[in-house]
Amino acid sequence: MDATALAAAPARPRTRVSRRWRAAVVGHLYLAPAIVLTGLFVYWPLVASTTLSFYDWNLVSPTWAAVGWQNYRELIASRAFWTSLVNTGKAAAALTVLTVAVPLLLALAVQRVGPRWRDLYRVVLFSPTVISMAIACAVWLWIFHPLYGVLNTALRVVGLPGPAWLSSSDSAIWAIVLVTVWKTFGFNFVLYIAGLLAIPREMYEAARVDGASERQLVWHVTLPLLAPTTLFVFLSTFILGPQNLFIPTQILTQGGPNEASNNVGYLVYQLGFEYFRIGYASAAATLIFLVFLLLTALQFYLAERRIHYGR
Amino acid sequence: MRLRQGIVLLVAVLGLARSVGAAEPVTIEYWHINSPTFGGPAAKELVQLFEARHPDIKVVEKFQPGVYTGLMQQLQVSLAARRPPAVAQIGYNLTAYAAGQFPHVLLDKYRKSDPAFFKGIPDNIMALGVLGGTLHGIPFGVSTPVMYYNADLFKAAGLNPDQPPQTWDDLQRQGAIIKQKTGKLAVYLQQPNDEWIDQTLIWGNGGRPLSEDGKRVGWDAPEAVEAMQMWQDMVNKSKIAANLTWEEGLQAFLSGHVAMCLTTIGRQEHMRRNASGFQVRAVPVPRFGSKPLATATGGNVLMIFASDPAQEKAAWEWIKFVLSPEGATIWTKGTGYLPPRAELANDPRYLKPFFDEAPLMKAALQTFPYARPWVSFPGPRGLEITKILIKARDEVLEGKRPAEPILKEAAQQANALLPK
Repeated sequence: MDATALAAAPARPRTRVSRRWRAAVVGHLYLAPAIVLTGLFVYWPLVASTTLSFYDWNLVSPTWAAVGWQNYRELIASRAFWTSLVNTGKAAAALTVLTVAVPLLLALAVQRVGPRWRDLYRVVLFSPTVISMAIACAVWLWIFHPLYGVLNTALRVVGLPGPAWLSSSDSAIWAIVLVTVWKTFGFNFVLYIAGLLAIPREMYEAARVDGASERQLVWHVTLPLLAPTTLFVFLSTFILGPQNLFIPTQILTQGGPNEASNNVGYLVYQLGFEYFRIGYASAAATLIFLVFLLLTALQFYLAERRIHYGR
Repeated sequence: MRLRQGIVLLVAVLGLARSVGAAEPVTIEYWHINSPTFGGPAAKELVQLFEARHPDIKVVEKFQPGVYTGLMQQLQVSLAARRPPAVAQIGYNLTAYAAGQFPHVLLDKYRKSDPAFFKGIPDNIMALGVLGGTLHGIPFGVSTPVMYYNADLFKAAGLNPDQPPQTWDDLQRQGAIIKQKTGKLAVYLQQPNDEWIDQTLIWGNGGRPLSEDGKRVGWDAPEAVEAMQMWQDMVNKSKIAANLTWEEGLQAFLSGHVAMCLTTIGRQEHMRRNASGFQVRAVPVPRFGSKPLATATGGNVLMIFASDPAQEKAAWEWIKFVLSPEGATIWTKGTGYLPPRAELANDPRYLKPFFDEAPLMKAALQTFPYARPWVSFPGPRGLEITKILIKARDEVLEGKRPAEPILKEAAQQANALLPK
């Protein structure tokens, strides 16, 4: 009797558990391809590169020489590393201002011009995004030409002396930033347009009924409800923006003159594939990864506290 | 009975397979930097001709983008995977690194076994493949810097285009006139991501990019400092020289905004075709006063990376062929590189007709006897040393500090990286 009761009692929970189990297994199976690939191509290289950062290796030599913290010490003492880091900071700040704020203003303006113009502006402003970066850089090379480029010719017309954009250490990094902004801002602009269209009309109507002025509508309705889009644009610009610097740097300046337009991504490439110091390059990559990890964590922390999701 | 027949058949088939295996040609890979517009067709033509002569060898030619640095990157990866090409072109500026870091075949043994091959290649050219007294590669592409000039701008400035500058003093004097009369800049010295012209200036003023024992760089020596200071002054003081990136500078010359341009003879065809509305001519680069001409030599050596003896043998046959009078003729016509065998230029069977029709090439031929190595800095940090010189040049040309302290600091950094 007791035996039957004992056998019967756990029978029901076991079915529930096994059903939950099965659901979990199926879920994991669906996730497996993504997890395996991410593990293989993101996390394993991350571990491998961190390991490599404690060795001296040139890709060819059959042995890796363990050097302890030497790569990190050398990096921290090197001017190239700090210049690249500062440049990346400058570029990230400029990109954030120019590709978060400018597209927002443009999207707000385009919102007001009526549907036909809106479509035209959307196409015009988005088109740089679909042009290949390498080709765009080739075009910018001629725009920047100090002797007869369009940019300096225009500056001379208004009486300003144009710099030698790419060969002066004062302007080279800004030239790279300019190209990157031109190339990426259209994408953010379209995101903002989509964000604006998603704001329910009733919100504006209700605000108008309450007697809100146009400026108040923007300030108290549009901007708060656009915050999730702004957060996304801000994060993606700050984290991905510096990665967009690589191609223009490679094509326009190779990090020169004298490191003036170098950035951390390009530096890692130089150390690894121009000097073939894989361990040293890995140390740079690891340090940079930590810096970005910290910044991203900080951003998420701040964002969690400040964003309203229209609730 | 059946069993015996079967065994006989099996043995016959295996024997056949073996003999087929023995007759199979050796396949070697040949890596080069010859893009479709810079010698690519010549590389293919060489392979076709070679395979017709050597049915037992198959050559797979592979173009590597990114010029010599790009090829090095791919080579490094292929060596890591233990699948290197049998033969590859290594830029002169990278030979010390490749010779020091990569497993490869030393070639002195062929001097004994193939003395005929080495005849006709001048010593100063063969020296480009020698490091520390050992032959690591055979000089294949040879290019010299020359000075292209815009004959029409010379005329517009009231100067005689038949008497272009021969010394740097001449150039600065005539350059000032060009600037004053036409408002154009006088000269652009190439500034790509290498230090070929920088080394040319150092050699030209009687200095050495690297001491003979390879223990110190020579950038802080008075000759080097003086040469680089002159360049700085032309950019920042007299303002007759352009400080532009490589693409910008080349385009400025071709569009008639700069009167003279120092760059490789390898560009002669490009210059001739793209000079917009003016006559382009070429002369050797200017000398420093009465000092003899001396220029760094561009181009590449062929190095053998094959580890299998059959492959190595095939690789050596290939090298001999591409440097034979016939092979070198195809190569020179296709690329504008000078043939390591200088006498071919005067031989009507080979390159004389080509040189007769390419007047700009004469400037390179005149420079040929004065060709010095484009020094490739030794040791595992050699590639960084090159970059230190490039960065120093950048800073010199910006003109915020005089050349001397910049070069002193750069030399100090470089010396610390040279093998002791």
